[in-house]
Amino acid sequence: MTSSRSRLLCVLALLLAAGSLTEARAQVSVVGGNLLMNVTTGTAGAQPVAVTNTTATLRFRRENVITKITVAASCPGQRFSLAVLATNLTYGIAAPQVSLFNGMLATNFVLSIPTGGTLNKTCTLRYTASATFAQGNSTELGNDVYSITYTLVAQ
Amino acid sequence: MTGCCAALAAAFAFLPVQAAHAQVFGAAGHTVTVQVSVITAVQVTGGSVNLNISSANVVAGQDQMTAVDQSTSLLWGTNSSGRKISVSTSLAAPKFTLKLLALNPTQGTAAAEVTLSASAHDLLLNVGRSTGSCTLRYTGVALASQGTGNDVHVITFTVQAQ
Repeated sequence: MTSSRSRLLCVLALLLAAGSLTEARAQVSVVGGNLLMNVTTGTAGAQPVAVTNTTATLRFRRENVITKITVAASCPGQRFSLAVLATNLTYGIAAPQVSLFNGMLATNFVLSIPTGGTLNKTCTLRYTASATFAQGNSTELGNDVYSITYTLVAQ
Repeated sequence: MTGCCAALAAAFAFLPVQAAHAQVFGAAGHTVTVQVSVITAVQVTGGSVNLNISSANVVAGQDQMTAVDQSTSLLWGTNSSGRKISVSTSLAAPKFTLKLLALNPTQGTAAAEVTLSASAHDLLLNVGRSTGSCTLRYTGVALASQGTGNDVHVITFTVQAQ
């Protein structure tokens, strides 16, 4: 009984350690989970009011070479608009705001991440969702669901 | 020589592949869902309208007198399909006649000039999923036989299913 309990504890410890290692080795990760952005108001004679979300953060590690981060997205049946900008960068240079669209090629997001400094670096992901009146609404057309990928590559 | 050319060709063939695949250190992602609610906005610009039928509007020998105002505009925005804009007045039993026509709509189609009543009448058709504007042309009509007085209307514009 004691032996099997010890074995179980060992397995649990190994699993926890493996999880921590995986986390520690992640070169880039998105913190904040999946997001839902809702465009709810509009102006007569103009357009619906865009909404922004800055709750998610991108964490990335320095490498032995200068690196950059690219962003790509897929959104089958895309109807509305979504853009992302890196803000509050601790290292590197933010590229201009990137418009995300289905099938886009990987596009520069953060450039010139140096080899020095702290191991872990972060930036805030500032998403802006917008739509026009002509583009309709989700009740009739459904939501846009974007799968967004950030990739750390050598520059 | 042939072997050398083949080696060179192989080297050049390989170069673009190398350039297209920069060293990747890692990737991560998440999902962002964009939801757009049903949005409808209507606005009147230009303020209140006064239609004053006076002696200036009288034509000798004619019972009917009119006054016209085109100083106000209607703005709208709707992201729903199959929509129209209707108009009604708060005044259930007006003494005089008040008519309204949408002039030069940037989207949709103007309905024929309507005589305002407490019941909704079509003003603009086919304005679904658009933002636009039109000029409001009010025409007050009085008959000499109706005498004098004031009608005060509160006009309501409604975007609704067509």
